[in-house]
Amino acid sequence: MVDRFVSSKTQNLSAMKLFYYLLFFSTSVAYGQTVVKGKVMDKKGHALPGANVFLKGTYDGTTTDSSGAFYFKTFEKDSAALAASYVGFEIAETKLSLKGKEIVYQFRLEELANELNTVVITAGAFEASDEKRMAMLKPLDIVTTAGAAADITGAIQFLPGAQRVGEQEGLFVRGGSGQETKVVIDGMIVQNPFFSSLPDVQQRGRFNPFMFKGTSFSTGGYSAQYGQALSSVLLLNTTDKASNNGLGISLNLANAGLNYDYATKNQSISAVAYYGNLKPLFTLVKQNVDWLHEPEFKGSSLTYRLKPTKHGVLKVYGMYSDSRLSMNSKDPSNESGKMKLDLKNRNAFVTSTYTDQWRDGKWLLNSGFSYSRNKDNMTFDAVHFDRFDERTQARLVLTRLLSGNNSVLFGGEAHVINLQNGVDGTLYHLKDRYTAVFAESEIYVTRQLAGRVGVRGEYSSLLDRFNVAPRLSFAYKTGKYSQVSLAAGQFYQNPDYRYLYLNKNLNFERADHLILNFQIIKNQRTFRFETFYKNYAQLVREFTGQAYDADPYRFPWGTTNNGGHGYARGFDFFWRDQKTIKNFDYWVTYSYVDSKRLFQQFDHAATPTFISNHNASLITKKWFEKIQTSLNMTYAFTSGRPYYNPNNEEFLADRTPAVHNVSIQASKLTSIKGNLIILYASVDNIFNIKNVFTYRYTPDGKTRYAVGPQSYRSFFVGTQIMLSKKAKVDKNDL
Amino acid sequence: MKKLFITSALLLVSMISVFAQNEKYVQAMESSISLLDKVDKAKNDPVELQEIANRFERIGTAEAKEWLPRYYAAYCYTLMGLSGNSIAEKDKFLDKADGLLKESETLAGKPSDEILIMKAYAAQIRLAADGMNRWQKYGALFTENIDAAKAVNSDNPRIYYLEGSSLFFTPEEYGGGKKVAKPLLEKSIAKFAAFKPQSSIAPQWGKMEAEWMLSQANQ
Repeated sequence: MVDRFVSSKTQNLSAMKLFYYLLFFSTSVAYGQTVVKGKVMDKKGHALPGANVFLKGTYDGTTTDSSGAFYFKTFEKDSAALAASYVGFEIAETKLSLKGKEIVYQFRLEELANELNTVVITAGAFEASDEKRMAMLKPLDIVTTAGAAADITGAIQFLPGAQRVGEQEGLFVRGGSGQETKVVIDGMIVQNPFFSSLPDVQQRGRFNPFMFKGTSFSTGGYSAQYGQALSSVLLLNTTDKASNNGLGISLNLANAGLNYDYATKNQSISAVAYYGNLKPLFTLVKQNVDWLHEPEFKGSSLTYRLKPTKHGVLKVYGMYSDSRLSMNSKDPSNESGKMKLDLKNRNAFVTSTYTDQWRDGKWLLNSGFSYSRNKDNMTFDAVHFDRFDERTQARLVLTRLLSGNNSVLFGGEAHVINLQNGVDGTLYHLKDRYTAVFAESEIYVTRQLAGRVGVRGEYSSLLDRFNVAPRLSFAYKTGKYSQVSLAAGQFYQNPDYRYLYLNKNLNFERADHLILNFQIIKNQRTFRFETFYKNYAQLVREFTGQAYDADPYRFPWGTTNNGGHGYARGFDFFWRDQKTIKNFDYWVTYSYVDSKRLFQQFDHAATPTFISNHNASLITKKWFEKIQTSLNMTYAFTSGRPYYNPNNEEFLADRTPAVHNVSIQASKLTSIKGNLIILYASVDNIFNIKNVFTYRYTPDGKTRYAVGPQSYRSFFVGTQIMLSKKAKVDKNDL
Repeated sequence: MKKLFITSALLLVSMISVFAQNEKYVQAMESSISLLDKVDKAKNDPVELQEIANRFERIGTAEAKEWLPRYYAAYCYTLMGLSGNSIAEKDKFLDKADGLLKESETLAGKPSDEILIMKAYAAQIRLAADGMNRWQKYGALFTENIDAAKAVNSDNPRIYYLEGSSLFFTPEEYGGGKKVAKPLLEKSIAKFAAFKPQSSIAPQWGKMEAEWMLSQANQ
C-alpha cells in the first residue's frame, strides 16, 4: 500500500485531500465481492448446524444454518484460507483463490478424540473416579454403600469379581486368597492395609475413604507398573488438595475424632486425630466374641501438599496408630474350648510422592518414597507371638505422551522388607531386597482399536531369583457406547513369608490371566460382562506326613516346594441404572467362580475354603431431596464355602450354608447455626440371620464349632460436623 | 520540505490504517456484544449463543493479539454450558470455554480479574451440572479463581455477583441459601454503581443478573 502511494504522484494534493484519499484507499482497497457458500458435515455426512465458517485472518465469515449450509460474501481478493470449526471437532481449512467467481465448498470435519468416541483399555479394571467420565462409580459411591461401614474394601467386596469371606480381612478376587491382592496408594505398596489380623474377626482397612479422589480395583490383567500380586491390585489415589478450610468433628459409637484442613494458594495441610473405644457399642450390640478388653485405639495422620512449580505436586502423608484389645477366641484344640488372646499393635506409615510434568504435559514424572513399620505384640494363652515388619520403598515412573493418545512409560521400584516373627522365644527373621523394572506402551491403532503392551522384570534377593512377566491388553470399540476388551498377562508373587522362614530355596508363585470383557455405558446406565480363566503355577506345597491340619493360625513346619498348581475360571456381570427413576440409583452384581488348587497341605487338588461359587449383591441408593436424606440398602448373597470335616473321607467336600445379609444406611444433611452436619445411622443384618462363615472341629473330630460374624444384627450411629469457613459468610467478605 | 511532508504523510497513513483497523475491531466487538446483551439470559438459547460465539471467535482469529474476543466467546460457551441437554454436552461447551480462557490468559500476559472471574463462572456451571459429585473439585476451583480475582481487583462487582449466586443456589444445609447470598448481591450492586468499564468493549455484564437475583433473595 505504501509502495503504491510512493509510486503514485500525490505530491500536488493538499494534505486534506490526501487524508481523505488515504482513508478511502486504506479501508476499501478491494471492491467486487466473492460469494463463498457450501455445507459443513461430519465424516458420516450429518449436517453440523452452528459451525463457524470464516476466512482466516479476516472478519469475514458466518455460522451454518440448521441444514449445515453457509453463505457469505467477501471483499477479500486473491488467495485466502477458508476454515470451518465446530465444538468437539477438529478445525479444517482449505486454500481458496478469490476472483469474484462464486465458490462452493463442502467441509467434512473429523470429530476430536474424546471419551465417547475413543476406546478405553478396561479389561479387568473397575474404576471409581470423578475425573474420568467413563468410570462406573464415583468415589462418593464407595462411602455411601450400605453394609460397607465407610470402609473401602468393605465396599469393593460387593463389586464383580470379588468373593466375600466373612471371617478374614482382605480382598478375595476371582479365586485368589486375600494375600493375592495388594493395596497401592499413589503407586506405593501398602504393607499393612488392614488392622492387625485376629482369629475369625474381620478387620477394617486403615485408610479413610475421603482421602482418595479415585479408586481402581483390578480383578486381573493389570498393568506392568504393578507386581507382587497374583490376583488383584487396589489402586488408591489421594486427593491433590484440601477440599475445605477449617475444623471438623466426627463423633460416633466407636470413636471421636478431630480433623483440620488449612490451605493457602500453593500449600495445604490436613491433620486428623482420633480416639476410639468399642466398649459403648459392644454393650449395646450383642457380641458373639467374648471380649476381655474391647478394642481401644488412637491415632493421628498428617498430610502436607505443596505445589512448588506450576504442575509439580509434592505430597507427604504420615500416620501413626496404636491399638490394643484382649479376647477369648474359640479354640477347638484347647480343652477349655477357648484361648485368651492379647494384642497390642503399633503401626506407622509415611509416604511421599512427587509428580510433575514438562513440555505441555508431554513428559510426566511420578516418583515416591515410603516407609512403613508395624509391630504386633501378641500372646495366645500367655505364649508370646510377636510380629514385626518394615518396608522401605522408592519408585520412579516417567511417561512420555505421544500424538494421538499414544504413550510410553518406563520405571522402576526398589523395596527393602524386614520381617520378624517371634514364636515363644524363637525369633525368625527375613530380609528381602526386591527390585523391579517395567516398561509399557499404550498404542491407539485407530480410535476404535487400542492396545497396551508391557513387560515387568523382578528380582528378589531372598529367593535369589529373577522373573520376566509380560502383560497385554486390547480394546475394540464395537459401537457408539459399547466395546470389547481382552487382557492377558503373567503375575508373580513371593510365597507367604511363613514358608520362607524355613525354606529359602522357594521360587516365585505365578498366575496367568486371560480376561474377556464387554461393556455398554449409555445414558447413565451401565452393563458390563467379564469372563476369565486363571492358571496358577509354582504354588507352594507343604509336606508334613500327617493328617491335614485345619488350624488357620498354624505355623508351617513341613518340607516345602513349588510343586503346586491350580485354576480359577468364571464370569461376572454388573448392571447399574441411575436414569429410570429420579434420585434412585441401583446396581446388581453377580460373580461366578469355579476353582481348584493343589497347594499348602493339600494332597490332591480341591476347592480352597475361601472360595464361594456364587456371589451376588444388590445395592440401592435413594435420595430424598426435600429432607436432604439418603436411604441406602445392600443385599448380599454368598453361596456356601468348603470347610474341612475330618470325618468326611472326601477332602473339603462339605459346604457351609449360604450367607445372606441385608443392611440399610441413612444419612441426613442439615445445618445448625451455619455449620454443616451429617448424621448417619445404619443397621447391618436387619433380619438377624445367624450366618455361618465356616466350621472348625475339635481334635477328636467329634465336636463342630460354627464361626460366624462378630455380631448378628447390629447398628451404628454417628455424626460429622464441619465447622467450615465456607459454612458462613465472613464479615471481611462484605 | 517535500521529504518531511512525505515522511509525515507516510506516518499518518500508517497511523490511519492502524486506527481504522482498531475502529473496525471495536465496531465488530460492539455489535457482537450488543447481540450478546440481547440474549434472553433466562433461556440462554444455544443456537443464538453459538452464532454470537462464532462471531467473537472470527474476530479472535483476525485479531490474533486481542484477548477480549476469546474472553467473550468463552462467556458464550459458559452460558451454553448452562443450557446443554446432558452432562456430556454441557462439558463439551465448558471444555471449549476453558480452552478459550487459557488462550486469553496467555494473550493478556498478566493476571486479569475478568478472565479469572470467567474461569470461576465456568467452574460454577460445571459444578451445577453434577453437584453431588463435583462440589469437591469444582467448588475448590471456583473459590481459587474468585480469590485470585479479588487479589487483582477487589472492586470488580462480578466477583460478588458470582459469590452471591453460588450461595444462592447452595442448599442451606451446606451453608448457602438466600439469606447468606443477599449481602453479597447487595455488595455487588453497590460495586456496579461505582464500576467504570475501561472501554466500550470491556466486560460489563452481570448487573441485571445481580439485580434479578437480589429481588429473588428478598422474597
